[in-house]
Formats: sequence, structure tokens, C-alpha cells
Amino acid sequence: MNGLTLHHISKSFGSVDVLKQITTHFDAGQVTAIVGDNGAGKSTLLKLMAGIHAPDEGQILLDGEVLSKRCPADHRRRGIDMVYQDLAIAKQHDVVTNLFLGREITRRWGCFLNRAAMRKTAQRELDRLGITIPDLNRPVGVLSGGQQQAVAIARAVLFNPKVLLLDEPTAALAAREVEQVLILIRQQKQQGRVVILVSHRLNDVFAVADRLLVMHQGRIKLDTPSEATTLAQIVEHIVG
Amino acid sequence: MFARILTQNPNRLSLAQCLFFLAALGVFFSFTSPYFLSVSNINNILTASAVIGLIAVGATFVIASGHIDLSSAAVMALCGTVCAWGLQKGEWSPWIALPVSVSLGGVCGLVTGFLITLTKAPSFIVSLGMMSIARAAAYIVSHGMPIYGLPDNVITGGQGAIASVPVPVLLLLTGIFLGWVLLTQTKFGLHALILGDSVFAAEATGISANRVRLKVFGVAGLYSGMAGVLFMLRTNAGDPTAGQSYELIAITAVILGGANLFGGRATIIGTMLGVLCLGVLQNGLNLLAVSTYYQILFVGMVLLAAAFLSRVGYRR
Repeated sequence: MNGLTLHHISKSFGSVDVLKQITTHFDAGQVTAIVGDNGAGKSTLLKLMAGIHAPDEGQILLDGEVLSKRCPADHRRRGIDMVYQDLAIAKQHDVVTNLFLGREITRRWGCFLNRAAMRKTAQRELDRLGITIPDLNRPVGVLSGGQQQAVAIARAVLFNPKVLLLDEPTAALAAREVEQVLILIRQQKQQGRVVILVSHRLNDVFAVADRLLVMHQGRIKLDTPSEATTLAQIVEHIVG
Repeated sequence: MFARILTQNPNRLSLAQCLFFLAALGVFFSFTSPYFLSVSNINNILTASAVIGLIAVGATFVIASGHIDLSSAAVMALCGTVCAWGLQKGEWSPWIALPVSVSLGGVCGLVTGFLITLTKAPSFIVSLGMMSIARAAAYIVSHGMPIYGLPDNVITGGQGAIASVPVPVLLLLTGIFLGWVLLTQTKFGLHALILGDSVFAAEATGISANRVRLKVFGVAGLYSGMAGVLFMLRTNAGDPTAGQSYELIAITAVILGGANLFGGRATIIGTMLGVLCLGVLQNGLNLLAVSTYYQILFVGMVLLAAAFLSRVGYRR
């Protein structure tokens, strides 16, 4: 089955059961938004899919194959990439370095960096995605919030992932920058990727999502196509 | 334009600051002492800086990755003592004694890195423990006394010169070159810097923080091992008390060279400029017959100035 499947996933931190028996499937070429109150388990679920946390029970399958190694490196290699809420960028390093973090282009025995090739590929891919960064050599920490977000998203889609996970991608952005991120999300959907989005900004969610999952206390409370519901109904499910 | 190039890149700004400080020291001492600019004195500065220089190259990797290693000088003393013991008492061939001693430094580094990973304790504490263990081991191996009487061929090799360049300086230059290649040209060097910049960014992108940390301390240990062997060659003895507080001078040099003490930013060239600044300062003060107590005072003041300038550069 194409796409990402979660099969009876449970996760606890100490005595707190954060996720309880989550079973669902995410189709390719579809944007799914996961919404819910704070502590509902949305970000934990995303981090499990990214390999940051390992589930206590259950399996994660990509295109029918079980992901058994449960580490970010393996999940990235298999085609699952994530944009983290705090971006997970190295702020003292330049844009090119950040784009290739953990997947540097090398020459000679795989240990010497090929900076020229990385720079060329970075420029080409940023142009393809329509992202403008004035100087790729500047430390990412000196760029604007929107530009830092763009670098994090560009890094996630640079190697054409099968699954793109986004944790609050629009939370800290100005209106114009939000629109750019939403355009990028739609592009990823059109390219046939599984796109899973966690967001508190329901207007943004309704602008891009095909399907909505409402989580409550570690369980999926509602699973609905976005056109079959309204913002008011979703808010009701979140708070109730 | 020039100012813009400097302020946009913290590394360049730090290097420029350090270079300016070195030039100022050079100009000052060349006017105050007629011997300062002589070839033999410059050789003296470089030879005297070689041991600290090697430790500082290792410390650059550790600081780049966001850690501190307080055990480097003690490990250096242990490696020098073990090498001298092997050559003198164990009758080892130099071809065995030297690599074994350098490798011992690497093993000490790996153990420190492993313990940091295992206990999740700050590197400051773990390396403090390793400092005591390594220093004690050096005392135990040597029974608390320096081991003299190394074979003639080892002393001749270690204290000689190739094309008028002293062997210690050649060893330092080799260490610098290898350190520069590792830090700037390889995946390992970049990952060490990324680890110092953001552990979460490293782990989220599949970089194994534990593995990188282990390698970083292993490399630093190898440099301590090289420094220990070099110190032994220069002094013709394996001295368990060697290099007291050298680890702090090495850290001073790295910070003076523009490294961010919290990790993520460090350069080998900057570190070497830092080592040279301290070497020139000490040599110049010696030429002016300034008391050792005041020399320590000046080194402290330089460290404070470096810490201040480092913050100025970082803010920009």
C-alpha cells in the first residue's frame, strides 16, 4: 500500500500515556493536518514518524515496508523528512551547510566535503522551490524568521522525500511568509508526496489540508475530509 | 567594504582581531628588545609554542563541539612518561614506543568521550576526573620521578632540525595541517562544529552526536599524545609533572583565536594565531626580564580581553 501507515502505535513518557493505539494511513498526494489541544500528542506522533522517538508498541510502515531501525538517519534515508517547530538548524553555519546537514556531498572515500557541488545544488534547488536567500554564505542565525523557516523547509524537500512532516510551519511567520509556506506545501502535494502537518492555525490548515485528524488525549477523536467539516466544528472537537 | 566583509563573518572578524593583536605585540617587542626579531629568537618562540600548539589543535575540536577538555595536559604528561619508560626501562624500539604513546593519548580521549556519552555528565566534570587519573597514572609509572636517559638516537632526532627548521616546529606544522584538513575539509570536522552549534539539529538530521563526540575526544587525545612525546623529546625526560596548567593555556589560545566557548565556531588558523600571541607575549616579556608572576598576570588579562572581543564579534 503506497503511503505511510501507523499500526497500533502507543507511546508513554514515564507514567504519562501520550499516544494510545493510533492506527491510520496517510495517502501519497494528500495533505493531512493533525490538530488538537496542547498535550494531545500531535508533535509526539510526528516525531515518531520522523524517527526521533521510538514507539513502545506498534509499527510504522512506509509503502508497506516496516521501518524497524527507528532513528532519524534511517527514516530520512527511507524518505521521511521533517520540518521541526524550532527548525533544528545550526544558526552559526551558512545556508548551504544547513541544507545538506547529515547528507553532505562528499568526494574521495566519502569523508571529504565537496563544497562546490553542495553550493551549486543548493542554489539550483532553492531556485526550483522559488526561495530567495540573498547570500548563501551568511550564517542562518542572521536571516529573518521567514528565511530561516524557508531554509528548514528547503532542507526537508531537497532530497525529494516520500513523506514530508511539518510541525507548526507557520506559527512564527508574518502573513506574506505564511502564504509562501502554504504555496510550498501545495507544491509538495502536487508532486505526489505524503504531507502531514501539525498546526494550531486552523485558517492555514483549512487552506491546504485535504483531510483533518483531531487528536484528544493521545487518541484520534475525528478523522474527516476537510471539505466535510467547518472550522467551528473542528474547534468544538478540539475543546470538547 | 572591508569592514562589511569582516562583520558578516565572525570567523574573519576574530582572525583579524587576533592578527592585529599579534602584530601589535610584534611591533612593541621589536622596538623594546633588539633580539626579538632575530632568527634564533623566532625559532625559540616557535619551538616553545610547539607543545601548547599541539594541545591547542586538539582543544579546538573539543571546543568546536561544545565541550571542554581539562585532561589534555595530564594525558600529555602520561604519554610522555610512558614513552620514556618504554624507551629507557622497557627497552622498546622508538618505532614502537612513539606510536604506542601517541595512541595511549587517543585511548584516554576515547574513554573521556565514552564516559561523557554514558553518564551524560558535563565534559568539564568527566575530563576533570580523567585529569586526575592520567596524572596519577604518570606518577605511578615513573614512581613520581622524571625518567631520564633516553637513547641517543631519539634525542638527536627530537632535538635536531631539518633544513634549519627544528623538528618540534615541523611536528607542530604537520599537526596543524592535519587538524586544518580534518576540521575544514571533512564530514567529521563539520559534524563536530554542528554538534557544538546545535545538538538537536545534529540529531534531527541523523548525525550521531555520540559517535561524533567520541571521535572528537579521540582526536584531542591523539594530539595530547603527540604533545607528550614532543615534550619528552625536548626535555630528554619523561616527566610526570609536565605541562601543569597547559590545558588552560591551550583553551586560552583557542578562545583568543576566535572560537565560541559554547561551540559551533572555531578555526585551526585562529587557534594557531592565539598560540603565537601567547608565545610572543611570553617570549617578549622574558626578553624584557619581566617577572614570571607578572607574565601570568598578562596571560590572564589577554584571556579576559579575548573573551570580551569574542562577545563583541558574536553579537554582530
